[in-house]
Amino acid sequence: MPPLKDAELGAFTFFASALPHDVCGSNGLPLTPNSIKILGRFQILKTIVHPRLCQYVDISRGKHERLVVVAEHYPKSFEDLLREGTPVSSSKIFRLAYEVLQGLEYMNRHRMVHRALAPHNILLDGEGHAKLAKFGLYHITDHGADVDFPIGYPSYLAPEVIAQGIVKPTDPTQCERPLPSGPKSDVWSLGLILFELCMGRKLFQSLDISEKLKLILTLGCVDDIITVLSEEHGCEDILKSVPENTLALLRKCLTFHPTKRPTSAELLADSVFSEVSPLYLPFRKPVGLFSSALRCANLILPEDISLLCKDEDSDFLAERSIEEVYHLWCLAGGDLEKELISKGIIRSKPPICTLPNLLLEDGESFGQGRDRSSLLDDTTVTLSLCQLRNRLKDVPGEAYYPLLGEDQSNIPHSGSSNELSTSATLPLIIRERDTEYQLNRIVLFDRLLNAYPYKKNMIWKEARVDIPPLLRGLTWAALLGVEGAIQEKYDMIDKDTPIPTDRQIEVDIPRCHQYDELLSSPEGHAKFRRVLKAWVVSHPNLVYWQGLDSLCAPFLYLNFNNEALAYACMSAFIPKYLYNFFLKDNSHVIQEYLKVFSQMIAFHDPELSNHLNEIGFIPDLYAIPWFLTMFTHVFPLHKIFHLWDTLLLGNASFPFCIGVAILQQLRVRLLANGFNECILLFSDLPEIDIERCVRESVNLFCWTPKSATYRQHAQVPKQISESNGVSRTSASFSVDFQESPKTDLGREPINMKELKLEVSPRISAEDLIDLCELTMPSMSRIPSKKTRSIKPKLLVVDIRHSEDFNRGHIPGSINMPSGSAFTTERDLAPCPASTTLQNFKGKVIVTVGHAAQDASEIIIFTARVVMDLAACGKKFNNHG
Amino acid sequence: MTGRKVNVSRSGSSSFPAQTVLHPRQPVRPLCMVGAVERRALLLPYRPVSLTEVLKRRSNCLEMKPGKAKISYTQRDFVYSFQAGPQKFALTVPLQFPVQENLDHLHGRLMLLHNLPCFVEKDLKQSLCRFVEKETVKDYDREAELALEAMSLSAVATEKLSNTWMKAYTETTLEHARPEEPNWDEDFADIYHDLIHSPASETLLNLEHNYFLSISELLSERDVELKKLRERQGTEMNKVMQELGKSLTDQDVNSVAAQHFESQQVLENKWSTELQQLSTIQKQEYQEWVIKLHHDLKNPNNSSISEEIKFQPSSLHESADTSREAYEEHRQLEESFTIHLGAQLKTMHNLRLMRADMLDFCKHKRNHHRGVKLHRLQTAMSLYSTSLCGLVLLVDNRINSYSGIKRDFATVCQECTDFQFPQLQEQLEIVQQVLLYARAQRDQMSKPQHDSTNGNEGRADKVKSNQSNLLPGEFYVTRHSNLSEMHVVFHLCVDDSVRSGNITARDPAIMGLRNILKVCCTHDITTINIPLLLVHEMSEEMTIPWCSKRAELVFKCVKGFMMEMVSWDGGVSRTVQFLVPQNISEEMFYQLSNMLPQIFRVSSTLTLTSKH
Repeated sequence: MPPLKDAELGAFTFFASALPHDVCGSNGLPLTPNSIKILGRFQILKTIVHPRLCQYVDISRGKHERLVVVAEHYPKSFEDLLREGTPVSSSKIFRLAYEVLQGLEYMNRHRMVHRALAPHNILLDGEGHAKLAKFGLYHITDHGADVDFPIGYPSYLAPEVIAQGIVKPTDPTQCERPLPSGPKSDVWSLGLILFELCMGRKLFQSLDISEKLKLILTLGCVDDIITVLSEEHGCEDILKSVPENTLALLRKCLTFHPTKRPTSAELLADSVFSEVSPLYLPFRKPVGLFSSALRCANLILPEDISLLCKDEDSDFLAERSIEEVYHLWCLAGGDLEKELISKGIIRSKPPICTLPNLLLEDGESFGQGRDRSSLLDDTTVTLSLCQLRNRLKDVPGEAYYPLLGEDQSNIPHSGSSNELSTSATLPLIIRERDTEYQLNRIVLFDRLLNAYPYKKNMIWKEARVDIPPLLRGLTWAALLGVEGAIQEKYDMIDKDTPIPTDRQIEVDIPRCHQYDELLSSPEGHAKFRRVLKAWVVSHPNLVYWQGLDSLCAPFLYLNFNNEALAYACMSAFIPKYLYNFFLKDNSHVIQEYLKVFSQMIAFHDPELSNHLNEIGFIPDLYAIPWFLTMFTHVFPLHKIFHLWDTLLLGNASFPFCIGVAILQQLRVRLLANGFNECILLFSDLPEIDIERCVRESVNLFCWTPKSATYRQHAQVPKQISESNGVSRTSASFSVDFQESPKTDLGREPINMKELKLEVSPRISAEDLIDLCELTMPSMSRIPSKKTRSIKPKLLVVDIRHSEDFNRGHIPGSINMPSGSAFTTERDLAPCPASTTLQNFKGKVIVTVGHAAQDASEIIIFTARVVMDLAACGKKFNNHG
Repeated sequence: MTGRKVNVSRSGSSSFPAQTVLHPRQPVRPLCMVGAVERRALLLPYRPVSLTEVLKRRSNCLEMKPGKAKISYTQRDFVYSFQAGPQKFALTVPLQFPVQENLDHLHGRLMLLHNLPCFVEKDLKQSLCRFVEKETVKDYDREAELALEAMSLSAVATEKLSNTWMKAYTETTLEHARPEEPNWDEDFADIYHDLIHSPASETLLNLEHNYFLSISELLSERDVELKKLRERQGTEMNKVMQELGKSLTDQDVNSVAAQHFESQQVLENKWSTELQQLSTIQKQEYQEWVIKLHHDLKNPNNSSISEEIKFQPSSLHESADTSREAYEEHRQLEESFTIHLGAQLKTMHNLRLMRADMLDFCKHKRNHHRGVKLHRLQTAMSLYSTSLCGLVLLVDNRINSYSGIKRDFATVCQECTDFQFPQLQEQLEIVQQVLLYARAQRDQMSKPQHDSTNGNEGRADKVKSNQSNLLPGEFYVTRHSNLSEMHVVFHLCVDDSVRSGNITARDPAIMGLRNILKVCCTHDITTINIPLLLVHEMSEEMTIPWCSKRAELVFKCVKGFMMEMVSWDGGVSRTVQFLVPQNISEEMFYQLSNMLPQIFRVSSTLTLTSKH
């Protein structure tokens, strides 16, 4: 989005028309409220960036179908020119007309029609250039069908618009209506406005609406519309002084018959503008972040670089984009409705005064007077930035331009960054609402993302602190390593030809995160459909499993206006975390995954694991939707965002830890309940404290030996082609076990049957060496802070025969030969070793044995130990 | 759908293989597979789709699309020719106008389907866009010219058209709407709302309470006098009865009884007129005073009252006999729950199960002790706010206040003058009129349909038979500022079927509840009291199984409605209070309070455990 510069933020409000009581759509589901439809259609307007159009920023839904639209705004408009009461000079008219036509032409290229062109909707920016406001109203209201009021102003309606009349679908389930107004109707409105500027006065002021409209319709029978209009208003004298080329322009615009009237594109190319057009450079759309084109292709540096930094005390906030400023405005306590109420635009009556007297059984209400507060008042209110500027007045200029060099840490921190580091310790929820903090984060991420992929590792580093919500979509894409010509790739996928999966997708979409306004809008459904179809079509070896829709939801929500990016993120996410989960026959993958998960539960919480196994409450009963959708089926979007912010930094085994962390939060209730209650509990999962869940899962992850989550069906390590070697060194956290170089001390695949028998996870010899700190500390792959503990963290139990044990063993290990360790009652035989074992209750216990002979013994041994001690146990397959 | 059938036809006489690709036939993919793994939690039951079904759907899809949108579709061929070396090709794409599809997607699909060489990519895109643009403009022009032509032919049509436009503008836009006529009630509402949120609130409440006391005095006088009359009449009647058969006949007794009744009526009428008068006077005085107060507060120079407010000591002291009230309150059983509703996004609501009388929430306590006063202040402060309190009263099909709970409610309403809204009786009269109007509207609406469908005939006849009566499930709404904790009362019409044990979720009474909750959503009523058993009094046929069955039904239905409400209002937290009659047993109450958390899945209590 372009920088704010001298623009203001403006807001206006209107009501969507209410739906009739209890009507269902053709699919049997309740109809989507009109306000949600409008909200969905609005989104695309945010992407329409043009210097002649006022940038749309946001739309929000209030109570009772109220909508508030936020857009770029300027205090001055054509209305002010008219108010001066003097004719505007011909050269200025040409310039303004050209600018308006540029805007209209750009809109038409996006298949949009203004329809509400009027002097007060053509604003004048600081330099006096025209900017069209409210240009999207006709589009977002589905050509006026979703609102009660007619779009447009009576004096400026084109004759064909009037003739076509207002067509309201009487029944919302059927939409029989003619074509909406065409782009040429705007040219007429423009002509009329230009005529008013020429005359220096408004037309049709003395007539009432129906007279105005009738007069406009009769203009078709007259020879020269301009003459007639000027005679009507007694300004023939002024008309005489208007130059001929201006009259030619007016005549072209005010052509009664649309067939003969030029389009805005034709007018721009017309010879009447031959003098003006060279003054304007053609508009080039800035290249977005994830595009194939060279982003710096059009970058022109001035000859003298110092020109860039000439203004010392410039307004740094004004250099940020409108979207950012609005986001910060909201954080700084901005409240749209309050602003509108204080300006008297929203005047709602107390609800007790508008109650109906009577309701019939079918829900129709009677005795409710027409509420005057629902009438349209589309005055735009300026949102004052004072409060925000005040809030940010202490932020130093450097904060807006952080340095990204590698040696940044050497630069002494200024006072405010100390403050920032203190606020970095606050809970995430608070940080996300802190204006100064967010400003710093947004600026930093914005710059880092602009430097993507060069600054990829710094993005990783910063993302570990937190991700600013405003830039989450792009940051995630960067974390997932999305690169290349994503838009072109997406366009080349056939998303329209029907495929058999369509029906299932059609069923699932209206049930996926529908509490969200964006995803429940028809526009959202269409996007959902395309992205899902694109994924299914482009992954022929995989299939659509229910749950893919939930998985798509966060990406689509964050990249609502960029389906290609949503698709690219999803395509990058699935192989990383859900490798082969969407195979046609995915049972072996899922079975293994769930087994490893249950081993993880046993490792981290043996007591819970024992209880769950006892009542037969296995992960297959509840955890499939967790992992198949990476928790998107379980949590609402705002929780998914926080969860995934961390998940995306972890490797493919991080989800296990999240799963265990969720169970930990429900621990007390699970332990207290039997099978039926547990099933009920999970069928409607209670609220989970997501920040705690994230924190705990990171802890669990750090405690888990890397090889414990080894999976045979995990993604095979790619031949990592990191020639520049930037990314991974700093992020050992994110390296998969599978990706580390294979050594003969690693783990080997074991078959499913065996795996199913094992209660606790196996670990590799490599990890054992790490855990016992048998290697040099420098080689340790575990983050150093964990090796600092003085007390032995783990107990190695050697179950080989004592001869073997005496021949050689790991220092500090105890020997409990499997044959003699247990009594016939399956209790631990009392011996010094078992006392030691008891003492290590709650600590990590590693069982070691021979690879070949003792494997099954180890399994049995460990299972019993786990049962008895409810302590952490894990097995190790000794080679040799 | 556009571009379903796409052909590449050869125009040159080349050896380029004629492509007959229509659309890629993809192998039918399973929609939803159930592997060996149980997926109870997530997946819908599996239903395989056969290929024929899919194909049928596809052709349906082709036919349906134009029909569904009902825009006159026209098909036009987009022809694109290009040269590859010496060979010339022409691509013909039939497009449906107006084009709904994203052109980028269409373009991508064309490139893919026909294996078009990449050197035509840009050119194809441009010419496709140009073609679509040109043809669309043509469509617009044609449509517009047709409309203009129609208008130029008839002056009547023009007249009619411009009137519709004018109507649309005047009805929906502030700029063209008729100026608002001043509304005294609303102005008073604003003033009152301002004052009650100012230091003057104390004075206002005291004033209201004083008025309430004088009404109570009047009422007790009335009661005393009525009691005296009844006693006198009783003794007289006794005498008469003794004389019966001796000097007096049955007829004489009857005439005495009639006389008694008449004098009672006269006395009652006298008192009710007096009450009426007093209320009217009070209301007038009060409103005048409030306006004056407001005026004075606005212009603090000549303030006499504002001083009064500042220094007025709380004239009403806490009452001495709290023991009786404590006893009364003791009898009320109450249990509160917090629930979270929703699958992913959860909204919190509060539920309360109470054993209490509906009218307890309306009656003012005569003793002005602290808690009561706070209640009153809260009710007054939220009257014109966006968190109202309402209750559901079950009434019969007549709109009056002669019998049963209606009469009791009317009595409670009389105990305190309503300073904001019309008296109950007036409100009921309005409701009666609105009902007649609604019935008339319905008749008009149904008349054209009546001939074709005879489905609802029986019902329609029933409606006709007594136009002025309500039907079960319908309700009327009254507004009050004089009740202790309530602002809005929903009078839901039920018939005797609610006493039977077998009502279903489709019962009119339940549907009425749903509509009530909907009104709560649209009018910001955040607390609602619902009679859980759909009765106000217990009777013999209401056994324990009857009660638990009824409670289960209502709990479940209300839960469903509350979940629906989230989509109506976007998840506002609410308080729903379920009331059971006073004379229900304590055991039954606890049985019901055990049932509630099971049905509503009460969120877990926070368990505090010591951490070692």
